Amino acid sequence: MATLQLNVNGQNYAVNVSNPDMPLLWVIRDLIGLTGTKYGCGIEVCGACTVLIDGQREHACVFDASSAVGKKVVTIEGLSADSSHPAQKAWVANQVPQCGYCQSGVIMTVAGAMKAGHHGSEILSEVKNLCVCGTYQRIRQAAAML
Amino acid sequence: MTTQTQPSRRGFITAATGGLTLSFLLPEINRLGELQAAVPGTVNTWLQIATDNTITLTIGASEMGQGSFSALAQILAEDLMVDYAKIRTVQAQPSVTSTRPVGASINTVGSSVTRTNFWKMRDAGAIARELLVQAAMNLKGDQTRANFIASNATVKHVPSNTLLAYGSLAAAAAALAPPSSAPLVPDSQFRLIGKTQTRIDIPEKVNGKAKYGIDIRIPGMVYAVIKHCPSFGGTLASQPTTPRGMLAVVPTQVIAGTGRGTEVTGAVNAVAVVGPNTWDTWQAVKSLNVSWNLPANAANLNNAKFMADADALLASATPYVAGGANPPGTLYTVESMGTPGTAIAASPKKLDATYTLPYVAHACMEVLNCTVNYVPGISCEVWAPTQSARAVLQLAMLITGMAANQIVVRTTYLGGGLGRKAETDFVSQAIQVAMAVRKPVMLMWPREQDFTRDQYRPMAKVHVTAGLDASANITGWSYRNVSPSILGQRGSVLGPKGDSQGIEAANALPYNFGARLTEWVSHPSPIPVGFWRSVGASINTFAVECMIDELAAAAGMDGYNFRRAKLTDPRWIRVLDEAAKLGNWTSPVSSGRARGIAIGTAFNSIVAEVVEISAATATGVKINRVSCAIDCYVAVNPGGIQAQLQGGIVHAINAALYGQQTFVNGAAQASNFNKSRMIRLQEMPQIDTFIIPNPGAADRALNIGGAGELGVPTFAPALANAYFKLTGNRLRGLPLFPGATMGGL
Ligand code: FES
Ligand code: FES
Repeated sequence: MATLQLNVNGQNYAVNVSNPDMPLLWVIRDLIGLTGTKYGCGIEVCGACTVLIDGQREHACVFDASSAVGKKVVTIEGLSADSSHPAQKAWVANQVPQCGYCQSGVIMTVAGAMKAGHHGSEILSEVKNLCVCGTYQRIRQAAAML
Repeated sequence: MTTQTQPSRRGFITAATGGLTLSFLLPEINRLGELQAAVPGTVNTWLQIATDNTITLTIGASEMGQGSFSALAQILAEDLMVDYAKIRTVQAQPSVTSTRPVGASINTVGSSVTRTNFWKMRDAGAIARELLVQAAMNLKGDQTRANFIASNATVKHVPSNTLLAYGSLAAAAAALAPPSSAPLVPDSQFRLIGKTQTRIDIPEKVNGKAKYGIDIRIPGMVYAVIKHCPSFGGTLASQPTTPRGMLAVVPTQVIAGTGRGTEVTGAVNAVAVVGPNTWDTWQAVKSLNVSWNLPANAANLNNAKFMADADALLASATPYVAGGANPPGTLYTVESMGTPGTAIAASPKKLDATYTLPYVAHACMEVLNCTVNYVPGISCEVWAPTQSARAVLQLAMLITGMAANQIVVRTTYLGGGLGRKAETDFVSQAIQVAMAVRKPVMLMWPREQDFTRDQYRPMAKVHVTAGLDASANITGWSYRNVSPSILGQRGSVLGPKGDSQGIEAANALPYNFGARLTEWVSHPSPIPVGFWRSVGASINTFAVECMIDELAAAAGMDGYNFRRAKLTDPRWIRVLDEAAKLGNWTSPVSSGRARGIAIGTAFNSIVAEVVEISAATATGVKINRVSCAIDCYVAVNPGGIQAQLQGGIVHAINAALYGQQTFVNGAAQASNFNKSRMIRLQEMPQIDTFIIPNPGAADRALNIGGAGELGVPTFAPALANAYFKLTGNRLRGLPLFPGATMGGL
């Protein structure tokens, strides 16, 4: 047992984990209870679990929770209070999601790429997320607005 | 409502507190794609107009990204004369026969939700509107209907220029007897139908608020992770000891109605480890030592054997006997006209080709999961991302022995359904675990279990022979498909025409074939198979449309012109023309590129695609463009149809290029996305779509087509046909590039 002090979406949490290697994904989803960040593959192939850690895109399914201590974690729930992040607005305007399951990860990837100073097609080259529903064309249209 | 769907006058309309409630029955398609008989007196859909002017549509279908909730609200709003954005949709819960407004479910399969409910929703909207108008007429003491105009959720009395909000009329309307029918808005005055509308579910799918099955959290809940025997057909040999820190290891058995093929009722084919959170439990599962009994036939459950069996059955199979046992390996004659064998033998050009298709997994983005809160003797609450909520209710009754009113089934959003979530194996396991641990529990299938324990799109081998005469007429067409039976694995006794799902899109084709013979043979492989986006059409359209292309090439004709000359149905010709136009078929293709074309049908729609490719190598090809035309008769939400076609095409790209599951001793080999490649955004072609416009005045007698699965069937043949043009190489097996793996992000 270890207690980790985590800052997620600006809020501090003290979470007890059996093992500090528990991936951040499961800490966020099961222990903190924020379920917007999704599990898709667990092996860093799909991107459904993408979050920002100190502004950097990370795949929470393989990111040790203990490595997030002292850093600022942002999940889809914390991207904006009212869905007003430009990526969220562009996603609604272009009616991007189908099942929507992959989209938290896609939007966080886009938000991270924007934070890194990318625009439009540069953002797109950063988006490697898998979308089984196949919303790629509308992702392209939406990202072109950013 | 039309009379056959109106349960009874009394059941149809109720003066619920707070306004007017219309309850009615939307027809349901079962998992076999057939319309279910309505249970008399049952209802499954509620339209409620409350005195505070809120309008609520409570409906039992599942939302998995296809936008069916939105489409139904859109249809209703048209004739109700309200703003589409004003309609609130609520997910209904299933009941077995209850007429109470607690909701019943509608199985969400066969691209059916919008198309089968179009007229019902319109009638409901129109009847509700007329009741409200009648209430206004009574209030105003003016029985001249022409003096009243319904629009924007109000009734206007023109002579007195008064506006009455629907909410203010709802209570009075509830006391009136509903008319059996009401005039519909003429097509020429549509405000909504045929016009793109935004989807209701999208806002909460961009901020993390949408709750999928896997997101259910209940105070005090525990987490279970499943581990099946690695080989299909295997069973638990001995109860494993519970790992430290875990609550239990629960053996789960195959419940009647949930197992397919190798998985027989009563067999314990999996264990679920139960622990405090997903990760710790999953780690315990990974290191859990379980001993399994492998099935006696394990050595036969491998690809080489499946192919050898298929080859043998292509060569010879025992014909169906009415009333006979007709075991796997039986030959069913689906259609027969003339003697194609003789006609082909006498033809100057004879073609003979065999097409091979693999098992393919569904791989929904959200893995299978289900949450259950079981309180012994009191209640059982089930949260499931399911396409078959009523089947879930019936299953819960069977396993718990509880009455329907003790069970609540809550359908969550589905992170993809694709046919896999019409099955209930995972639900049955969650219920069993909940009964064993008596705590709220979520059961989750890790991705590796989801891939290796699927109910796959069936493998198939299809042998086609055909002849051409000197004038490029097709003289004869002989088609034999050997594939495992989806319906057979669900206990259906197959009739003389075999498995309707296995042969769909191969028979009754509007091509001038001369003599024709269409046969289907049940393949004996017991690997579980199931409904995969577009089902049999995804198999047969590949074989049919590749062979048509081979005939065109043999005749020295262009693939488009050849099809156009042989097609006999003007709707098909129109769709083919539109796809060709959209894909610039008649303009020269830029150097290094080639185009292929294919046409087909599924769920009453007709679709054609032109695929343009370049850069073919031994391991891949660049897909530059896909142009898709569809005739679905009535297009409710064109933007939604476009999204579904785009998604279906991506699904088909993944399957055509890379998708396959293979087996060694009954164990599936591809266990995660890294072993089963799918395209990423960078490989996405430009997709253009064209929807044949709605008819001027829709006819109730004509079938509205589906859209959700329609992007799939014609892609693979159009791709293979383009590949042939580009390389001169005829690829007759899917996937085109087997064994492709996918690197990390
Ligand atoms: S779940 Fe983390 S990359 Fe797929
Ligand atoms: S929207 Fe369903 S997986 Fe991307």
